Amino acid sequence: MASPWWKVARSEEVTSAKPLAVDVGDQPVVLWRDAQGIARALEDRCPHRRAPLSRGCVRDNGWLQCGYHGWSYDGESGRLKEIPNMKDEQRFPPVYKAIAYAVAESGGFVSVNLDKASAPPAPVLDETFPLNGTAHVSLSQGEWVDTLFDDPGLVLDIRGVQFTPYLMSELREENGLLVMERFCQWGKLHLPSYATAEFPITLITRTRPDTGETQAVLRDDSFRTLLTAQIAPVAAARGVTQVRWRARLGEELKGRHALALRLKGSFAVRENVDAAALRVLIRSASHRAQQLREAILPATPVSSDPSVSPDSSVSAAA
Amino acid sequence: MLEVADRPFASDTDHTETTAAPRAPRPSLNAVNNWVPHDIVMRDSWFPLAHDHAIGKKPVRRAVYSHPFYIWRENGKAVASEFHPQEIVTREKSPYTDAHGRYPVIEHYGLIWGWFGRPEAADPAHLPSLPFLPPNGGLPKHMTATIRFDCSAPISLENLIDLTHADFLHADVVGDEKSDSEDVEVFYDSETITMVRTLVNKSVAPIMKFFSGIRQPTQNVRQVIRIYLRSHCAIAYGRFSPGDDVPLFHPCTPESRDRTRMEMVMNTSNAGLMFRHVMPKAGYKVSRQDSSMTNPQSPRYMDIDPRKDLHSRFDQAGQRYRLLMMELAQRQAEGDFAYRDNVSADCSDIIGLRKELFRF
Repeated sequence: MASPWWKVARSEEVTSAKPLAVDVGDQPVVLWRDAQGIARALEDRCPHRRAPLSRGCVRDNGWLQCGYHGWSYDGESGRLKEIPNMKDEQRFPPVYKAIAYAVAESGGFVSVNLDKASAPPAPVLDETFPLNGTAHVSLSQGEWVDTLFDDPGLVLDIRGVQFTPYLMSELREENGLLVMERFCQWGKLHLPSYATAEFPITLITRTRPDTGETQAVLRDDSFRTLLTAQIAPVAAARGVTQVRWRARLGEELKGRHALALRLKGSFAVRENVDAAALRVLIRSASHRAQQLREAILPATPVSSDPSVSPDSSVSAAA
Repeated sequence: MLEVADRPFASDTDHTETTAAPRAPRPSLNAVNNWVPHDIVMRDSWFPLAHDHAIGKKPVRRAVYSHPFYIWRENGKAVASEFHPQEIVTREKSPYTDAHGRYPVIEHYGLIWGWFGRPEAADPAHLPSLPFLPPNGGLPKHMTATIRFDCSAPISLENLIDLTHADFLHADVVGDEKSDSEDVEVFYDSETITMVRTLVNKSVAPIMKFFSGIRQPTQNVRQVIRIYLRSHCAIAYGRFSPGDDVPLFHPCTPESRDRTRMEMVMNTSNAGLMFRHVMPKAGYKVSRQDSSMTNPQSPRYMDIDPRKDLHSRFDQAGQRYRLLMMELAQRQAEGDFAYRDNVSADCSDIIGLRKELFRF
């Protein structure tokens, strides 16, 4: 299986002012922008004395300088470019280099592939997702994605939306993605979901089986898109999951609750998961997800991004 | 004392009406332990999707095995489509709809039924017999409800057909397990299973004590559960003496593999004023009690488990239900969708309906 691309940062987070430390699992990675504004990624470890490069700085020429002894590295190749005390000797053997990772940037996210030789991901549609954020969750990435499948309300917070346990269409494979549509209610006085005949909104999620990247679309019962979010959960150190997301509201919001989405904080990934509720959450859709992953991953190359067709409708399969 | 009898209807051995299809070998009794209800998808069947009063000009959403059904009325007539009228269609058309993406629909017993399967096979003759409901509908809304179960539909029906669970899970509604004698009979054919449970001097149901004014400490009870296998529809008919007749239409429409929708109708027209209004509401309480067990139970049946279920004599009906469902599913997997028994034939005698109470 090809090494996946991980969306490890939002574009705004990666600057030439200060390096950014992120993780892909237990692998620490440092990100910054070079003099051309191109995002770069190295292992967050100086090959000299193993200090985190993220505690250094970005030089005017775009090199990343270690904060310990001042060694500077080129972002594209990882090659050592300068040792402050050896200014007369600026040619170093090829082994004098930090590990460089493949970097790609599109759709407002910076992605890293730990396999430098990986082919770049296909670019996503050029859309603006003005709402964005990052959450750190004390939950493994796999459990976070499973929780998203079984009860999105434990990991997502959409203003006024209550997620029900009932599905318009259950988890299935569609173009290499895991797709499902869940009935939702507006958070107002109403019958409990098990006794409700009609639900006014649904949440459609399209999830990559390998990375868990998910496009979530909130839609009303007249097929109007109320909100679209791109969510990227990435495994970080010590079982923490870093979740980056971007969202935008639909063009046609009708009804009091839909209009309230325009208020600040209409979408967020929860930093804290209700552990008591999580412990007793029944595995239903996530059980199916595991079966589907096993069927999909060895065989089918997945779409480059779950946002490739953001307005496509959900089809159904038994 | 428990007596259990398990036997096929006479017609089960004589399937002369569908002589063309050879009969597939039946799953063995041991097969009840290979029960994976989530994998069962029944086709060529009517599924109750909505109460007729719930359908107007605006499309409402339903699903059968995750296949979308959008239902609305055109010139007063119910129609069902796989596509929402506002939908920009980007997905492939289902093989279960006609050239316009429409499902066969029929309106009967106060319900909208959608056909899931080959459209050309849709036939009103395959509609389950529900003799306690007026064919043209018209029961008051308070006798209807929409309730969901957080489990797969066969799990919910297996729960229903073993009524011994009710003595424990629903004791506060229908009374405890104490009785002088208990007799269980199971009848079945290729399309239905019927369980008749007869109890003598059973503890009186609390709901009847409070809302029907039953003063005696015990009552005789005859409970019938009849399941139409393909459509996942059940009749739950209780005759309580002293007490009322409580016929319930208990469909378990499989919206998805692990969630079930029930468009419930309880005809309490012949009961007293209080009981008539209160009893249908008991479904909200009872369904939550059921889901408290079937919800965690359901995912544990998603895969074949090498640890076999333990069974008692009380599970005869449930075991037979599993076998019949697996047999029907096997037939369908082999391409045989024929009805070998008539589901629309009046079942009043089978369920012991007191016809004088339900004349339409």
